[in-house]
Amino acid sequence: MEQPVQTETWKARSLEELVRILHQIFAEDKVSVDEVQALMESYESNPEEWLQYAKFDQYRYTRNLVDNGNGKFNLMILCWGEGHGSSIHDHTDSHCFMKILQGNLKETLFEWPEKKGNGEMTKKSERVLRENQCAYINDSIGLHRVENISHTEPAVSLHLYSPPFDTCNTFDQRTGHKHKVTMTFYSQYGERTVCVSTRRDAPH
Amino acid sequence: LPAGLSQWFPALEVLDVSGTGLAEMGAELLSLPCLHTLLAKNNRLGGPGSLPKGLGQAPLARSLRVLNLSGNRFAEVPPAVLRLRGLRSLSLGGNRLHGIPPDIQELQSLEFLYLGGNFITAIPPELAKLPSLRYLVLCDNKIQSIPPQLAQLHSLRSLSLHNNLLTYLPREILNLVHLEELSLRGNPLVVRFVRDLTYNPPSLQELAGRTVKTRNVPYAPSDLPESLVRYLSLASNCPNPKCGGVYFDSCVRQIKFVDFCGKYRLPLMHYLCSPECSSPFSSASQSSTSQSESDSEDEASVAAHRMQKVLLG
Repeated sequence: MEQPVQTETWKARSLEELVRILHQIFAEDKVSVDEVQALMESYESNPEEWLQYAKFDQYRYTRNLVDNGNGKFNLMILCWGEGHGSSIHDHTDSHCFMKILQGNLKETLFEWPEKKGNGEMTKKSERVLRENQCAYINDSIGLHRVENISHTEPAVSLHLYSPPFDTCNTFDQRTGHKHKVTMTFYSQYGERTVCVSTRRDAPH
Repeated sequence: LPAGLSQWFPALEVLDVSGTGLAEMGAELLSLPCLHTLLAKNNRLGGPGSLPKGLGQAPLARSLRVLNLSGNRFAEVPPAVLRLRGLRSLSLGGNRLHGIPPDIQELQSLEFLYLGGNFITAIPPELAKLPSLRYLVLCDNKIQSIPPQLAQLHSLRSLSLHNNLLTYLPREILNLVHLEELSLRGNPLVVRFVRDLTYNPPSLQELAGRTVKTRNVPYAPSDLPESLVRYLSLASNCPNPKCGGVYFDSCVRQIKFVDFCGKYRLPLMHYLCSPECSSPFSSASQSSTSQSESDSEDEASVAAHRMQKVLLG
């Protein structure tokens, strides 16, 4: 993605409109990260519009596909029960936008481990994202862990990945060792999709 | 709770009074025979009148399935809760609990127990007597060790232990065959090989017991006092695969690193029957990595097969 000549200032007044504008933006050759982030942030979360995608699992967070962006991006909703969190992971050379629709999520950034590294990974920073805020990350920025640290409130987030990817690496915080995992969807377009494999390694 | 609640809504099944500033829930609850879900999170409950007297005798005690008291001020698990025999799901996250009562084992139908975000320092072994428990959350507490009895939680699918004070885990954790999720990040897990040199030599009774067991000396209940028969039944097998020995009370505690799924190394506490059993590790002070890796191969294959996923920091 590069900066185009003109950056539009979008206002998405509904989830449907957000998806429509995203399709418009991604139809172009060049897409601006700032533009997408501002667009995502402009949408004021309205649970009525996304409740059908918000399917929670008792044991871990879920990934629920909302739109497959004509192959240019994946838009999905993640549901985090109390205490649910992801492992530390990368983003397979893709852009990742994460907007909070409900509750709060803590994002902890980590440095990439050294090639020969065999020690504790270095924390760069952490922050708690509030409702409607939108964060951005890609591999050149670093790695992150996302977690719902609330013991009383579930959290829901809206994620956009471009280009779409279904594998990434998870990292052991104490050693920096990485391990490739495949990600799956808990539901697609509002329908529960049951996976054959019992391996559920995914971060997001 | 408003008076007359049970008169207006006698068939009430779900009651959500979360975030209403409630400091007590009174007798109105007792006359709701169909209530199966009670959500009272984010209130001011925790004091004496929080739950009505006589809860154990009310129809509620048998009908209630889900109770959420997270985000309140409970300093202990209210004894009244332990009488809710039909309870499947209990949440006391984000309270002020300092411990878990052994009587938690009364909740025999419990499948989901959320105790994250308290000040719990220890786990009673009685917690392991919950045969249907599938999801146990103990994250964000002050827990220093996990009792090995927790391995008896055969139904456990998910165990959340992150952000505690654990330095190692009992090796019995490998016995949790259905465990799919285990979170351990934010614990001061030992990263170096640690050898515990404290070893109480076995008593004569123990030595005799070991001999009876390892030499298969036959005995019948009529041959021995009942107390000794019972003692012999408590023999534990030495987990060292190269040793066929048993031990009773006297054992060597040692931390051994086990690879899970070929990618994570967890420090597990092993109980070995004698210092001789620990000799594979004796030269491990400098080359702990290579030694414990080769010794943990058989453990690792077992662990990899059983532990499907480990969520580690």
